[in-house]
Amino acid sequence: MTARCEQFAVRSIPARAGIGLRSEHYQAVIANRPQVGFFEVHSENYFGSGGVPHRYLETIRADYPLSFHGVGMSLGSVDPLSTAHTRRLKQLVDYYQPDLISEHLSWSSVGGTFFNDLLPLPYTPEALHHVVDRVRQIQDRLQREILVENVSSYLQYTHSTIPEWEFVNEVALQSGCGILLDVNNIFVNATNHNFDAQTYLAGVSPQLVKEIHLAGHTVNEFEDGSILIDTHDQLVCDEVWSLYRGAVSRFGPKPTLIEWDTDLPELTVLLEEANKAQAVLEAAHDRVA
Amino acid sequence: MTGLRELQQAFGESLRSEQAMQLAPWICADGIPGMRRVQIYRNNHATSLTEALRAAYPVVEKLVSEGFFRFAAHRYTRKFPSTEGNLHGFGRDFARFLGQFPPAKDHRYLPDVARLEWARHEVYHAGGHAPMAPQSLAAVDPAAYESLRFTIHPARRLLRSPYPVVRIWEVNQPDWKAGQTVDLSASGDRVLVLRTQGQIEFHRLAPAEYRFLDTLSAGCTLGRAAEAALAREPDFDLNRSLVKHVQNHTLVGFALA
Repeated sequence: MTARCEQFAVRSIPARAGIGLRSEHYQAVIANRPQVGFFEVHSENYFGSGGVPHRYLETIRADYPLSFHGVGMSLGSVDPLSTAHTRRLKQLVDYYQPDLISEHLSWSSVGGTFFNDLLPLPYTPEALHHVVDRVRQIQDRLQREILVENVSSYLQYTHSTIPEWEFVNEVALQSGCGILLDVNNIFVNATNHNFDAQTYLAGVSPQLVKEIHLAGHTVNEFEDGSILIDTHDQLVCDEVWSLYRGAVSRFGPKPTLIEWDTDLPELTVLLEEANKAQAVLEAAHDRVA
Repeated sequence: MTGLRELQQAFGESLRSEQAMQLAPWICADGIPGMRRVQIYRNNHATSLTEALRAAYPVVEKLVSEGFFRFAAHRYTRKFPSTEGNLHGFGRDFARFLGQFPPAKDHRYLPDVARLEWARHEVYHAGGHAPMAPQSLAAVDPAAYESLRFTIHPARRLLRSPYPVVRIWEVNQPDWKAGQTVDLSASGDRVLVLRTQGQIEFHRLAPAEYRFLDTLSAGCTLGRAAEAALAREPDFDLNRSLVKHVQNHTLVGFALA
């Protein structure tokens, strides 16, 4: 799996609703060929040399637009970028020719140890400079534009000086990448860190947003307060749908993904969520028309 | 990059140890104490790695119960931290770890069950290989047979255990309907783990046949493998074994030594 597969080519991903492809749903997807705008996969799930995951992905890729979503690049780490990781990702990108490639605006390793979690960056000029440089390195190695995704966070640093939305926007402006705007993560952070989600939306430049994510979250109650956790294990809540409608009216219709990773329900549940997003997108298309 | 480096190092320490407090001054307290917030990340980190192990070792988890498995996974993560952003290889030392994990010492067969599950995991993700052309062996001069060295399909693993690990694996499958008893004193297993048409299968091998394939997969010649098999079982049918494993695409190529 090193050469380009002739049958795959990068297309422009449509501004429709898609779903995350998980191995539990491979057979249902192949059997039912659901009407979705695109499928998104975690790139790392295909880092193996071949076998069953690639068998399914090749079949699905032949019929659908595809997005590669990375969870393990450790974009914001001070460790050197892993050559093995970017090399394997480049092989997969060359082979499958995904229509979108994204990574998280976070870090997950230090001193060679990986925590395999999306850890928050401080929003400082130093971190901004570092991340901009890393995004440029990744885009150089892949020879493709990437999108960076805003993450959920459960703490704020005392030395952060830049509002998160400005940080996200500046990373994209200065490095030349796009933004994958996770509306659920904005809602989670607005609640956890007590800011207005509308201010966040207003702070992001519409031309930079190339994809939107939607997911469910969980409320963790403590005796001295509660924290929202980005668990991807349930339906998108009403407040996030409302914020999504606001995002679509500000940014225009964008490819929108329903993410679900834990306690995965049947495929039909994801498709129903995607249909809800599709209805919002179609209403926006009608307005544009 | 002193600020960002120091922060990430302190954060890493806090994830590894609940006693580490270097991160505390960097975190806003508002309402919920900073270290409680860090605890959320500790949990996420532990969950992420435990889930990766659970996905590769469902039978081990079933054998020891969920709580014990989580405890073992946590200890394993301390001893063998993840070193990659992709988790495919993260559980590779779990069998060895379980073999040296005192709380698991009553489950003597556990490391071998883990080995079997890891073989499955590797075979699931391994690359493919074109089968050997049917007539290619026939074209070789019989005098050269002895010095042939074979290529083994990448999606094949050999494993032997003094315990009936295949039976243990089978009775612990979610859709297993028959009896749950396993006679641990039954003879052990020699297994070829292989993938055909996207399905992972276990094929039990006779002792000589196992030795034959094991010797070939170590890179030895056909002559050497035949010798090893015949030493185990004087009436070992070399031709039958050779044909069988060419036909099931375990032997996928050869070279003259």
